[in-house]
Amino acid sequence: MIPFQFITAFLLIFMGVYAFLYKRNLLKLILALDVIDSGIHLLLISFGYRLENNVLPTAPIYTGYETVKAPMVGPLPQALVLTSIVIGVCVLSLAVALTINAYRHYGSLDVNKLRRLRG
Amino acid sequence: MNVLPFVIIIPLLGVFSLPLVGLVGKKAREAWALLISGATLGVTSKLLYNVWSTKETLVYTLGAKSPMGQGVGFPVRIVWEVDLLSAIMAFTIAFVAFLAVAYSIEYMRHDTGLEKYYVLILVLELGMLGIVLTGDIFNFYVFLEIMSIASYALVAFRNDTWEGIEAGIKYMFVGSLASSFILLGIALLYGQYGTLTMAYLAEKMAANFTLTAKIALAFLIGGLLFKSGAVPVHMWLADAHPAAPSSISAMLSGLVIKAGGVYVIARIAFSVFGMAVNLRTLGWVIIFFACLTLIVGNAMAVVQTDMKRLLAFSSVGQIGYILLGLGIGLAAYGTKVGEIATAGAIYHTVNHAIMKALLFMVAGAVLHELGTKDLNELSGLAKTMPKTTFAFIVGAAAIIGLPPLNGFASKWLLYESSALFNPFLGAIAIIGTAFCTAAYIRVLYTFLGRPSERVMKAKEPGMAMLLPMFILVGAIILMGLFPWQISKGVMIPAASMLANIKGYVLAVMGGV
Repeated sequence: MIPFQFITAFLLIFMGVYAFLYKRNLLKLILALDVIDSGIHLLLISFGYRLENNVLPTAPIYTGYETVKAPMVGPLPQALVLTSIVIGVCVLSLAVALTINAYRHYGSLDVNKLRRLRG
Repeated sequence: MNVLPFVIIIPLLGVFSLPLVGLVGKKAREAWALLISGATLGVTSKLLYNVWSTKETLVYTLGAKSPMGQGVGFPVRIVWEVDLLSAIMAFTIAFVAFLAVAYSIEYMRHDTGLEKYYVLILVLELGMLGIVLTGDIFNFYVFLEIMSIASYALVAFRNDTWEGIEAGIKYMFVGSLASSFILLGIALLYGQYGTLTMAYLAEKMAANFTLTAKIALAFLIGGLLFKSGAVPVHMWLADAHPAAPSSISAMLSGLVIKAGGVYVIARIAFSVFGMAVNLRTLGWVIIFFACLTLIVGNAMAVVQTDMKRLLAFSSVGQIGYILLGLGIGLAAYGTKVGEIATAGAIYHTVNHAIMKALLFMVAGAVLHELGTKDLNELSGLAKTMPKTTFAFIVGAAAIIGLPPLNGFASKWLLYESSALFNPFLGAIAIIGTAFCTAAYIRVLYTFLGRPSERVMKAKEPGMAMLLPMFILVGAIILMGLFPWQISKGVMIPAASMLANIKGYVLAVMGGV
């Protein structure tokens, strides 16, 4: 059986791709990109999750690991997701800045209006 | 001493110190940017020489002596791994980037916000160098995003024009979606195999190749075809490359689509998936896209009236040739034909970087002096700008593949191998070249035709713009004089090192 968190992650990715293809507002496109990224982050985080003997796992930064006797979640996916979030913020801010500029030049946020380049 | 880390350290230092140096003055900023890119060129040439003379894969582990974890038998650290293909790419990147920085000193003189411009151009170079050096698949993603964000910002650099903004937005949305696909592929690979080191991933995959890995491969190849501008998804390229400032177009068309696209396809297809996947099928998939790209890109170039747009479509076409060589190299893996095809693809990558950088610099010079890039207004340019026209003739002849120039040798390798592999593919490659010739002959007719009013007022650009152009012309002619020595001495060894998947894995894993 596929774990439910994977299904949620792929649902998020699919929703993002759907919105990316069918929405026309630039801000909605930016949100769609963010939703796709969130889905991938959820997928990565859930790869690190371990459930052993029905004991909830602890965070990798938790120091009293020996006394709790619980499995630890994988630290690497969390580091990856942290990196990816930082990259996502860069892309997001640049996208918003470009959108503001586009609104200045075109007076609209509709992608279909951004059609002056031809050939 | 291992020169490998300095390939990243020097540009990284330069990027972050550039705004401080820029406080001294405009001249100091330009000199610093030139110095940093020149030093990077020096380091990469040493790296290329080291790898070429020893024919060994260099490995550098970040933060430790060995990539292996303490007490465990598998690599846990980030590694950089350089074989001859990576070294050739790194050298080409540093060479073209150096000339682009030199060119932009005069070309960008009238723009404002130049401290940001020089920071971004060095970040772009840094990102590409990181992509070709790295041997860790998530590290590759980080460098890919560094490169992509810098190039989105540079395409939209002239934000007072609608052209740059529109192209920037299109490029950014398509590029970010492609990056997300690539990240999804990487996440799936990590979830399946629990490692990010390319060499270890290849070893684990050879033992157990699952459906998840196949899906991951599809996402990775799909995203990378987006990034390299292959045909069903090439429209962003034709918008973004003409809209950027010409020095940036030279880097985008010459380097970015190769370092961030074709090179990574080669690395992932050979070194990561090579031992597991059915290379014949994968090769034919790439050949299919290559043929489409080849025909559509070159054919669209013929009908353009905007000079830079013509060059951008021609880039799409040339990417088709490189992908064709790569695809045949995969489909005929292990045979002589496959090796020649891969060597041709690598050779053409280098040649096209030089030729297309030159052509975009010529277009930039014309745009700088005349304020237009519409071919209908440029007739008779040879009368007033003879040196620029000469540079264009050399670049165009090289890209068509006329014998005394460098494009001939690489295209010959590609024609030869594709005809041997499947005559039908050879025919397609020749048809692509016919379209390409038509497109460039048209521009030449315009340049050599009867001078128009507007052109009579033009004059040659300054020395700072002519010099980088003539260095590239020199490189084209020089490489054209020794075509077979270069292909035998550098490109064939690079292809055989790329095809030696076991060697790439063992360089990191040791004698396990």
